[in-house]
Amino acid sequence: MIGDTFGWLTDAAHWRSTNFDTGIWDQLLAHVGFSAIALVVALLVGLPLGLWIGHTGRATWLVTVVNAVRALPTVGVLVLLVVVIAPNFYGRTNAGYLIPTEIVLVLLAVPPILSNAYAGVQNVPPAVRDAAFGMGMTGRQVLARVELPNALPLIFSGFRSATLQVIATATIASYVTLGGLGRFIYDGLAQQDYPQMISGGLLVAALALSVDLLLALVQRYTVSRGLTGRLPRAGRVRREGADSRSAVLTEELASQGAR
Amino acid sequence: MKNTLVAIATAATLSLVVAGCGSDSGSGSSGSGSSGGGTIAENMVFGGPPEFKTRADGIPGLEENYGVKFGKYTVTDVGGPVTVNALKRGQVDAADLFTTDPSIEANDFVILEDPKSNFAAQNIVPIINKDKASDGVQEVLNGISEELDTDGLGELVGQVVNDKEKPEDVAKAWLADEDLDGSGDSASGESITVGSANFPENVILAEIYAQALEAQGAQVATKLNIGSREKYYPALEQGSLDLFPEYTGTILTYLDKEATATSPEDVYTALGEALPENLVALDYSEAQDSDAVVVTKETAEKFDLETIADLAKSAG
Repeated sequence: MIGDTFGWLTDAAHWRSTNFDTGIWDQLLAHVGFSAIALVVALLVGLPLGLWIGHTGRATWLVTVVNAVRALPTVGVLVLLVVVIAPNFYGRTNAGYLIPTEIVLVLLAVPPILSNAYAGVQNVPPAVRDAAFGMGMTGRQVLARVELPNALPLIFSGFRSATLQVIATATIASYVTLGGLGRFIYDGLAQQDYPQMISGGLLVAALALSVDLLLALVQRYTVSRGLTGRLPRAGRVRREGADSRSAVLTEELASQGAR
Repeated sequence: MKNTLVAIATAATLSLVVAGCGSDSGSGSSGSGSSGGGTIAENMVFGGPPEFKTRADGIPGLEENYGVKFGKYTVTDVGGPVTVNALKRGQVDAADLFTTDPSIEANDFVILEDPKSNFAAQNIVPIINKDKASDGVQEVLNGISEELDTDGLGELVGQVVNDKEKPEDVAKAWLADEDLDGSGDSASGESITVGSANFPENVILAEIYAQALEAQGAQVATKLNIGSREKYYPALEQGSLDLFPEYTGTILTYLDKEATATSPEDVYTALGEALPENLVALDYSEAQDSDAVVVTKETAEKFDLETIADLAKSAG
């Protein structure tokens, strides 16, 4: 079975699309597409809302409500939405199936993004926040220059777990006529072509891990060195032992002073 | 520095989105309409379950028997609501549905004739564990198979799907109509577990078997709506299920991927050879729930379609 799976994956014909069969490259692209749309939408909704709730301390019940959404059974919601939405579209369009799929994936991605953004801002030490206000920063400046950079590690961890979940769950698009890597899993099962099915699963796992690795890299270079403790050699001695969070503030002050 | 990296990350994400959108719209737009050269089928999108694409009597069979090659294949579901909706709304032009499906009549769909018997016979047949197949039990089940026919079965499915009646009530009424509900003791002493797959027709059939056997004194347990064949067949083989309503063609291809028989007798004979030692197929019924290539009434009139072979005509 392992040999067959390897054989399936290394067969060049399975990677190219013909006019009748969709190959791995195109399904991979479609899979990334479904996931990216959902993640961007979820980020646009979840991140500002989470930051605002954390910053103002208002409407914290919303975090609980959004987290409760995680309990919804994804496939059930998908089928329900398809039944309601798909009959409204006529002709050669995927929209009747694409929209429900994206709604379901967004519902899955918003909770970790929102609640981690909220928790990240919430966990900024009051002393740091007070100091920023004391310097005369406005509320907006405090959020953008102090709270957001300090919350970034948690925001990233929320976004990364949302990404993993969405990429893994985007396989359900195939359940409602769409493509994506789920196609190989679903078709392989139906056609009793188990090497195809296992290959589909492996491809999804490989995609999820690669994207997570990519995000880890982005995180490494965007999160302040003051937070990660990842300092250049020369600075290591000087800053050692300093409160990592106030280090962000120090860095911010230094850059302001330089202007 | 930080801002540049954020900008790069954002740009990368956005380009992925654009790429994703592009491929979505691309896959939906090809092969539409009747214009252009080629055959009627080459300008069509076909909708059906994943296995239809590779099955001997699916797409390969249509090409071999009728020279019909479709332009594109969209995987829908196994003759379910997704397929019906896609055909109705024009996401696909032709689809694989089942002959007993009440939605064919409800939506004025047209079944294209299959004069060359591309589709294997799908007669309803009870598959039973040999140990449980006493003469009395066989008599009851064969009696049922004798009375079932395709149209009658379609009506029963319609009562469940369209009129929202319960499968057990529909089964009971049918048994009463056919005078098969008389009580007796020809199956007494047997304890039988009846299973069914998770679609209405199969549930109705399992209910019919269960109720008839119960009336004849058997101790009957039911495990209905089990799901796909991959889940229930092992249970049947290992004996945790004793009796299952099956379709001769499908169960044969499940057991023997290379099977080529298409006529009811040939399929039944081949099935008898393909079944493992401990299972036996009782008499098959005349009722069939076979695959059919189905188009909308508009499409059939537009291209003057009657048989599957007509799809190979030039589209011009």
